[in-house]
Amino acid sequence: MQQVPLPPPGAVPPRPSARPSADAHPRSVAQVPVAEGKSVQQTVELLTRKLELLGAEKQGTFCVDCETYHTAASTMGNQGQTGKLMYVMHNSEYPLSCFALFENGPCLIADANFDILMVKLKGFFQNAKANKIESRGTRYQYCDFLVKVGTVTMGPSARGISVEVEYCPCVIANDCWNLLMEFMQSFMGSHTPGIPSVFGTKHDSVYSPADTVVQYMELFNKIRKQQQVPVAGIR
Amino acid sequence: MIEDVSSDACSDVDTSPCWATQIILQEPTQQLPGVNLEAFSQAITAIQALRSSVTRVFDCLKDGMRNKETLEGREKGFVAAFQESLHSVSRDLGELERLSNLVGKPSENHPLHNSGLLSLDPVQDKTPLYSQLLQAYKWSNKLQYHAGLASGLLNQQSLKRSANQMGVSAKRRPKAQPTTLVLPPQYVDDVINRIDRMFPEMSIQLSRPNGTSAMLLVTLGKVLKVIVVMRSLFIDRTIVKGYNENVYTEDGKLDIWSKSNYQVFQKVTDHATTALLHYQLPQMPDVVVRSFMTWLRSYIKLFQAPCQRCGKFLQDGLPPTWRDFRTLEAFHDTCRQ
Repeated sequence: MQQVPLPPPGAVPPRPSARPSADAHPRSVAQVPVAEGKSVQQTVELLTRKLELLGAEKQGTFCVDCETYHTAASTMGNQGQTGKLMYVMHNSEYPLSCFALFENGPCLIADANFDILMVKLKGFFQNAKANKIESRGTRYQYCDFLVKVGTVTMGPSARGISVEVEYCPCVIANDCWNLLMEFMQSFMGSHTPGIPSVFGTKHDSVYSPADTVVQYMELFNKIRKQQQVPVAGIR
Repeated sequence: MIEDVSSDACSDVDTSPCWATQIILQEPTQQLPGVNLEAFSQAITAIQALRSSVTRVFDCLKDGMRNKETLEGREKGFVAAFQESLHSVSRDLGELERLSNLVGKPSENHPLHNSGLLSLDPVQDKTPLYSQLLQAYKWSNKLQYHAGLASGLLNQQSLKRSANQMGVSAKRRPKAQPTTLVLPPQYVDDVINRIDRMFPEMSIQLSRPNGTSAMLLVTLGKVLKVIVVMRSLFIDRTIVKGYNENVYTEDGKLDIWSKSNYQVFQKVTDHATTALLHYQLPQMPDVVVRSFMTWLRSYIKLFQAPCQRCGKFLQDGLPPTWRDFRTLEAFHDTCRQ
């Protein structure tokens, strides 16, 4: 059993197994609105400067991406039934894993070559390439907290900002929510999010990496919807 | 110096009736304020006069009636002489009493007895004997009191935590080991089992990888794990780690040397070590283990309890890591004073 609770700065730790069940700590993933009159990049800089003032140290980068798959029309029995969306996500914290999930549905954690399987399954699931969305940014460490401030991009354009805060010593989400919230207030101020829905359903069970991915999926969906309104208007 | 004076003075206390003479002989020229030396010498004369008059009474009684022709004359003369000598006795006694009032009582009721006379020394600056004496007196009183307390405590609690500390002297005269170090493993198992049953949210795993000394792996809820190294029923070392941290070495043994990767558990380890030193009762080692475990159990709310002083969860990025030894309330390390 090997565990690497805090990876060395700037490096993604190698993992012996694709199942990243060993270390998952409660995280809160939230969106920070772009400050008025500022660009996304400027707002990110504002946030990271606040973190650095607090004493947080830079620790490499991170990336979370999400691809959307439509259920192929040929597989649908009823004409009226709309296709379910499936999301395939990668998280640089778990480089050997791949997450496949439905909205409100089950989350599958698979090895990274799951992507190749999806190519084989294109008769059933079609990749909506234009919908690919990802969040990239810098990791910061402050005491036992890990903070990831990322820029959410869809295609070529920056669409928003994601902030993920993780408290590493703890494994039960509800135990440390107050702690997380107090920490987030110290640098996010009024943009501190409410308790994530996955925390509410977890009760006293151990937080899992899938919970983080679900939070990212919800965040990406929210950002996509924000942007879809003007797009729909043009059409 | 002080001892000389006091021993001299003390020797004066319970000697013969001539004590006054002795003082006069020792310090013939010194003027003691408050002591009337004139009256002193007069009183001595009066004592001598009293003694001689008493002697005369007995002489008179011994001689009886004689040297008189008639019986009547003899009787009269004897009574008169006896009366005369008795009168002189009572006169001398009265005189002595009067003088003794004049002499005064400088030292009789002094708590330092005759060494209290040193306070009469008018040249304080040159010979501060009296103040030094008082200091020494107080100091030795205190010393005795504290030594008494300490010996009581030491008798109650043997501070020897390990046999090695007895060192060389133990080799010279072989002594039985403190009983608490030679408890049978079965007894230790029983004590640990009872504690394990006492706290449902705490599970204790006992193993003996190196001989008779037990090692405990305590898992507290889903919050933390504690490795406790025991020596008989004494806790020698304790390390606190996160619930999801590895507590085993590569060959599957409990890893008792490496510390936690998380700052919060490093801090809790420090506090647990403090607690080991705090909970000490060598006569009843099982009580110590139980108190320690009770204290440790309060960490079940490590991430949930706000500081009882500042009301906040975080300070310098750490939750309240200190638990009061008595009340078990949560405090930040810097808020606990």
